Amino acid sequence: MKIELLNVCKSFKGQVVLDNLNLTVEPNKITVIIGKSGGGKSVLLKHVIGLIRPDSGSVFIGDDEISALNDKKLNEIRKNFGMLFQDAALFDSMTVGDNIAFPIREHTRFSKAEIDVIVKEKLRQVGLKRVTQKMPSELSGGMRKRVGLARALALDPKIILFDEPTTGLDPIMCDAIDRLIVKTQRHTNATCLVISHDIDSTFKIAHKVAMLYDGKIIEYGSPDKIKWSENPVVKNFIAGKSISKH
Amino acid sequence: MLRFFEYVGKPFVLLIEAFGKVILLLVSTISWMVRPPYRIHEIFKQMEFVGVNSLPVVIITGAFTGMVLAIQTYYGFKMFGGESLVGATVALSMTRELGPAITALMVTGRVGSAMAAEIGTMRVTEQIDALYTMSVNPVQYLIMPRVIASIMMLPVLTIVSDFIGIVGGYFVGVRLLNINSGIFVARIIEFVALSDIVNGLIKSAVFGLILSLVGCYKGFGTFGGAAGVGRATTQSVVISSVSILISDYFLTAVMF
Amino acid sequence: MSKLSVEAKVGVFVVIGVVLLCYMSMKVGKLNFSNNKGYAIEVLFDSATGLARDVTVEKAGVEIGRVQDISLRDGKALVVLRIKQAIKVKKDAKAVIRTRGILGDKYVEIIAGSASAPDIMGGGRLTRTMPVTDMDTLLNVLGEVANDIKLLTTVMSNVLGGEEGEAAVRAIVSNLRGIVTTLNQSIERNSSDIDRMIDNLAGFSDTLRSIGDDNQGDIKEIITSVRRVSGSMESLVADLEEITEKINTGQGSIGRLINDDSTIDNLNETLAALKEIAQSISQGEGTLGRLIAEDQTIDSLNTTLASLDEITTKINSGEGTLGRLVNEDETVESLNTTLTQLNNYLEKQDTFRTYLDYRGEYLFNSEALKSYLSLRIQPREDKYYLLQIIDDPEGKESVTDTYRDINGTVVQEHEVKVEYDVLKFSAQVAKRYYNLAIRGGLLESTGGFGFDYYFLDDKLLMSLEAFDFSLDRNPHLKAKIDYTPFSHLYLTTGYDNFVNEESRSFFIGGGINFSDEDVKTLFTSIPLPY
Repeated sequence: MKIELLNVCKSFKGQVVLDNLNLTVEPNKITVIIGKSGGGKSVLLKHVIGLIRPDSGSVFIGDDEISALNDKKLNEIRKNFGMLFQDAALFDSMTVGDNIAFPIREHTRFSKAEIDVIVKEKLRQVGLKRVTQKMPSELSGGMRKRVGLARALALDPKIILFDEPTTGLDPIMCDAIDRLIVKTQRHTNATCLVISHDIDSTFKIAHKVAMLYDGKIIEYGSPDKIKWSENPVVKNFIAGKSISKH
Repeated sequence: MLRFFEYVGKPFVLLIEAFGKVILLLVSTISWMVRPPYRIHEIFKQMEFVGVNSLPVVIITGAFTGMVLAIQTYYGFKMFGGESLVGATVALSMTRELGPAITALMVTGRVGSAMAAEIGTMRVTEQIDALYTMSVNPVQYLIMPRVIASIMMLPVLTIVSDFIGIVGGYFVGVRLLNINSGIFVARIIEFVALSDIVNGLIKSAVFGLILSLVGCYKGFGTFGGAAGVGRATTQSVVISSVSILISDYFLTAVMF
Repeated sequence: MSKLSVEAKVGVFVVIGVVLLCYMSMKVGKLNFSNNKGYAIEVLFDSATGLARDVTVEKAGVEIGRVQDISLRDGKALVVLRIKQAIKVKKDAKAVIRTRGILGDKYVEIIAGSASAPDIMGGGRLTRTMPVTDMDTLLNVLGEVANDIKLLTTVMSNVLGGEEGEAAVRAIVSNLRGIVTTLNQSIERNSSDIDRMIDNLAGFSDTLRSIGDDNQGDIKEIITSVRRVSGSMESLVADLEEITEKINTGQGSIGRLINDDSTIDNLNETLAALKEIAQSISQGEGTLGRLIAEDQTIDSLNTTLASLDEITTKINSGEGTLGRLVNEDETVESLNTTLTQLNNYLEKQDTFRTYLDYRGEYLFNSEALKSYLSLRIQPREDKYYLLQIIDDPEGKESVTDTYRDINGTVVQEHEVKVEYDVLKFSAQVAKRYYNLAIRGGLLESTGGFGFDYYFLDDKLLMSLEAFDFSLDRNPHLKAKIDYTPFSHLYLTTGYDNFVNEESRSFFIGGGINFSDEDVKTLFTSIPLPY
């Protein structure tokens, strides 16, 4: 499924976060949006899934303009999405198994036994075993991310969104998650949209990279194009230098 | 001058705005009540949390409220030889006022705060956003069951509190202060009308609505991490308690 | 316990609550959901101080009803009592307002009437009451007594007090002294005479004794007869005393005669007239005179009296229709039940009401007026039927799904047709409990139900309605508030269809309603040209 943002503007309390932003995410690829922290990456992601509506402009998922849909229709579209939150956002009143089963129970009519099978299969996909009865608070950060991904995959989504998937993890775990993202994309052939400020992992996983700066996409293209970009802001960001405003 | 008005008027505007938001939340809660799925299991889970688990604290507070009422009114009535009215006074106070109010305040402390904290935590850890992304409306999934459970369970807790309070008053009055047990009970039966009990229960249902709605509202609007959750919890208890006592006055004025 | 499911725990808990509620309400025991059970009787009291609505009505200390209403009628307190259906109150029973307990709670006591008196019917009035002896009247009487005593002592002190009084008393005392002195002197002067008198007396008694000894038997007899006479005299006197007593207190016809001056005057006049007549009769004047003079007349009079006597005897012994009517209890009872039934029927007719109502709601969303014409038939106060005709600017929506076979594939066509200018109908049954009414049935030509909650003596009405349930969209929900500042006219506002985003709309409006009573008074008060 294609994701398209057209002339999207959004400001909070007078502060402009997205300024006439245009971006087309290619279907069945991994697109990574990079940019500095607090630069509006999460806001962009929330626009894609309809948690935030743009002040002006429009957001298309496939052929549907979700920025103009009512809640009921929006909920229908959202069933095509899976999202992995920064801290996994697992429901801490439920076991791991119930967390993964939750979207399945909500939107399908599978029996208990069938759901158990799906949960086991999803956990296997993210490389976890024997954790169904554990509570989220008993898990490490990396395991929580994996469970979060398993939950995002529960309904076999066509679009998977990742909000800072490697933040707060040790380098080995980062690598493991990166591999998992790539593997998952290959396995499901879903459209993946990742936001990150981690340059190393970005180049490991991305088919396409977009750089968000000052509410705009200032550079978009293949990882190589970004690596050799002439744009000083992009250059500095990749080199890890702090950017002084002109 | 304008700044003065702004300074004075702003809290009022904010207050009215908050009130309006709570009412809107109530309207959307009601509208989610009548749409499937009905979340029966969630409602039962909340009923257990609000009702069954609050039983010990309600029994203890109810019993001691009835007992202390018996002692206090006994000394008053003894001055003019009306000790026999202690039972009726305890029963009327419990059913009409103290049963509903004390139960509501205890449940606010125990349940209202927990609602604010739980939903607040879910808000700051993006669990509520996660619900949205999974096409589950958090008002229906989180708030509606809590509101329904509170409205239904508060009257049940209150009737238990009423009964235990009267039993406590009986124990103190008859066993410790030697009031004739027959007269004690007869006066209760003579003075307490069914409407006293029923109106008390209606009040408690309203209190249940207030405490759950405020708790959920505060939790739902939480921002600013762990500190925000703490702030929401405290505010929900204070606002609920105050609203319960204020609405108690008006409900009593309308009903009795 | 931990094995118990959530549902089971909650269930047990709720059952405990319901049991406690039932137990307490049964103990409290005033489960009168409707105030309209039993029958009403009226009592006029001089004063209903301290009496309140809903206080108990007792007979021999047992609750038999409640005070339903207290109002003023001709300067007196008209109290309506609602008595339990099973309790009969005699027409000559007496109603008293009594006080209970140190706190002075008032209640109404019914003192049983005579067994032979008929039962009072619903709507009837108890005429016999007793004035309230409360503390106030008691103190008033005491005050009067104290005033009297004060008056008396004042008179006495006026007579005896002061110099004048003292002088009078002194004069009396000195007069007394003078009398005693004179007496002494005269005794001293006639001492010899007195001695002689005593001697004579002694002699006389001696003679008497000798006579007595001779005629002892005779004397005994005399004494016995004297005693007998005096005995009958005593009873005679007692009888007389009783009679005069009765006469004095005005009992009996003589008593009344004697005690009433006008009667005596009348009597005198009558006697004078009679005297005149008697004189004429004795002279054989007039028809009457002639009648009396002839023996035949007297004979026929006698036979007439005899047959009259026979008739009354027959009636008394229960012969003949009249006799049976008068004598048989059964007849009286059946008459009584007939009357009671008639009364019940009339009472029922009394609570039957019909209301006609028009309301208009201006819908902001469609900027049009939605009108309702309703007929409300209310057989009892807590129950009514509602028939409505509704003109809805939004029109009537009908959904049809048609399946068509196009080139082998089945195509579903979803067609929503909106018909304007179609009237909708409602027909609902409603039942009211206290302030809450629940109704259901046909709402705007679809199934539905609603709740009404009444505040402030029914002046404020909050309603929630739900109807038009279908699987593919949300039900039609409507919340409204009606306020009736004056009778017959009301204002309304609310939020219509608020869960359906496309058609939700606020509305304001008003209405007018009439009951059959209003219509009646309206027609009777319109001056009609003759």
